[in-house]
Amino acid sequence: MMDVGRHPKVELMTFSEVESITGFVGNFNVRVRQKARYVDASECTICAECAEVCPVAIPDAYQQGFSSRKAIYLPFPQAVPSAYVLDMENCLGNNPIACGKCAEVCEKKCIDYDDQDKFVDLEVGVIIAATGMDVYDPTAYDEYGYTRYENVITSMEFERLICAGGPTDGHFIRPSDRKAPQSIGFIQCVGSRSRDGRGNPYCSNICCMNTVKDTLLLCDHYPGIATKVFYMDIRAFGKGFEDLYMRSREEGVRYIRGIPGTVVENPENGNLVLTVENTTTGQLEEHELEMLVLSQGVIPRRDGDQIKHLLTLSTTSDGFIMESHPKLKPVDAPTKGVFIAGCMESPKDVKDSVTQAGAAAARASILLNAGKTRIEAITSQINSELCNFCGICAKVCPYNAILAPDRKAKKAPIIIQAACAGCGACAAECPQDAIGMRHFTNDQIMAQVDAILAVEPQKHLVTFACNWCSYAGGDNAGTARLQYPTSCRLIRTMCSGRVDEKFIMRAFRMGAPMVLVSGCHFADCHYISAVRWTQKRMDRIWSKLDRLGIRDDRLRLEWISAAEGQKFAKVMRELEDKVKSVTKEEIEFTMKVLAEEEAKAQEKKAKRQLEVTVL
Amino acid sequence: MTARDTHFKCLNCGHEYDGVYDPDKVTERTCPQCRSNSVRRLPEKKATAKK
Repeated sequence: MMDVGRHPKVELMTFSEVESITGFVGNFNVRVRQKARYVDASECTICAECAEVCPVAIPDAYQQGFSSRKAIYLPFPQAVPSAYVLDMENCLGNNPIACGKCAEVCEKKCIDYDDQDKFVDLEVGVIIAATGMDVYDPTAYDEYGYTRYENVITSMEFERLICAGGPTDGHFIRPSDRKAPQSIGFIQCVGSRSRDGRGNPYCSNICCMNTVKDTLLLCDHYPGIATKVFYMDIRAFGKGFEDLYMRSREEGVRYIRGIPGTVVENPENGNLVLTVENTTTGQLEEHELEMLVLSQGVIPRRDGDQIKHLLTLSTTSDGFIMESHPKLKPVDAPTKGVFIAGCMESPKDVKDSVTQAGAAAARASILLNAGKTRIEAITSQINSELCNFCGICAKVCPYNAILAPDRKAKKAPIIIQAACAGCGACAAECPQDAIGMRHFTNDQIMAQVDAILAVEPQKHLVTFACNWCSYAGGDNAGTARLQYPTSCRLIRTMCSGRVDEKFIMRAFRMGAPMVLVSGCHFADCHYISAVRWTQKRMDRIWSKLDRLGIRDDRLRLEWISAAEGQKFAKVMRELEDKVKSVTKEEIEFTMKVLAEEEAKAQEKKAKRQLEVTVL
Repeated sequence: MTARDTHFKCLNCGHEYDGVYDPDKVTERTCPQCRSNSVRRLPEKKATAKK
């Protein structure tokens, strides 16, 4: 941190918040709010005289509430810049000045009660996001008695208690009687690998080795202390980790395979009695310990939605930010020019975070040094003559790549080609057909529909499959030699968001008994949120089919990932049976109704074009 | 718009169930009975009539 602060080419903006981000790769505009510190950081010498006279005392969040701080304080010893900050929310007041003692004693006169937030506008080419993570709150696990029993603490609290710079100067004591404990237990996987709804289903990655390190610290500082670790698996998979784990065992730390069911406090001495099934021996055991540490898991940042919205990112089902490709582009965000690093992507330790940060910096510098970027070949293009300036396209674009139209000035939306990723959601949603997609034009897709249904249409299942998942799922089924009916005909689109109502209706109009739209699972969508528009659109089309007297179950929707070849084959087999259930009369009725609808629509369109020509 | 209780119908097995629909947080729908994703959100009028 100090090195970063001193680096001539790095401008560190601490105590700041990103307010907005606009633009696209190479041309981002970032507005940063620099919060008022009320202390001139360049003048402050951290003499601490201000804090000494401050009458306010509140729990110190950095020390996990084990000690207090003043309203004017140094956030943490290694803070950059090394200067005090005035916490105006807890200050006795500056309007009018109710106390003012800190300003009175400050010899350098660096306290300014009238300081205001400042806004800084930056123009940047690329953005690396590394906003970190939060820790799981173990109060949901009531059986462990966290917050009920003083001697049950979390691993973060343990860290402060054993740290030389902590509230007890590194003297490890238990909170109830401030005595050094003689026995201590660690419970692993608190809030991780949980399927009961209280915790998270994923492994938090760092807790096992953190506990191993903690036990070694205890053994080193307090050789006589009895340490027990209750676990379901110890995941020591990194370089040197297994050695560390074995060393911990050799030091006498007892590892018990089993997660305690209950923790009860002995009111006389504050000791904790744990009941646990030792799954190695199959015995129910009771352990009396003087202190208990809950090895809490890692969770995505609680304010993660804000950064997700600012950078138009998407998250996986566990809430961490999704990368562009898990293997080939692990530090690229789906939005071009944005890179991710650290625990915002997934739980990881310091080494992995540093590696990823280095990779992100290298990826960013490639773009910056090149000075230019390649745009996608498949992007949207707008026909401004057909546009009615409704602005739906700008609303649906997951990349904010469309500048909204100006209805009053009759200015059509502008598609930023560098930012467009080519999902096609805008083209499918445009009510005026004013947006087309390069290489996946309406005419091209319609021609495929017509070709599929040119011969014996009643026997074919028309399937629209997204390029990245469902189409790859079909490939997967093929390479795995899974059997599925030959009546299935695939039309590839880059995203299911591209599947326009017109394509589906055209298929029915041409005599298709059934139509399937398939795409990525929401968490896998390669176009951030484009797949969500598919589901919304399908609701609309089902309602329309209902209104026209066509069975809604003839139009299907399935989310099939690239790995789900089996699901692909199963869906195709199931739909083959349904295809057979659609009668000839039904198909003829559908064709007739839709032909009438099409005629009406064409008449309306011709009328509109005539009006435009007259105007 | 806010989240509201909605009636859903699976077009694969016909199973109908109540759930929450939030237009701002569209989530993947899966039929609890047959695991199909062809789950239709029924219009409010239709859902009320069915009830």
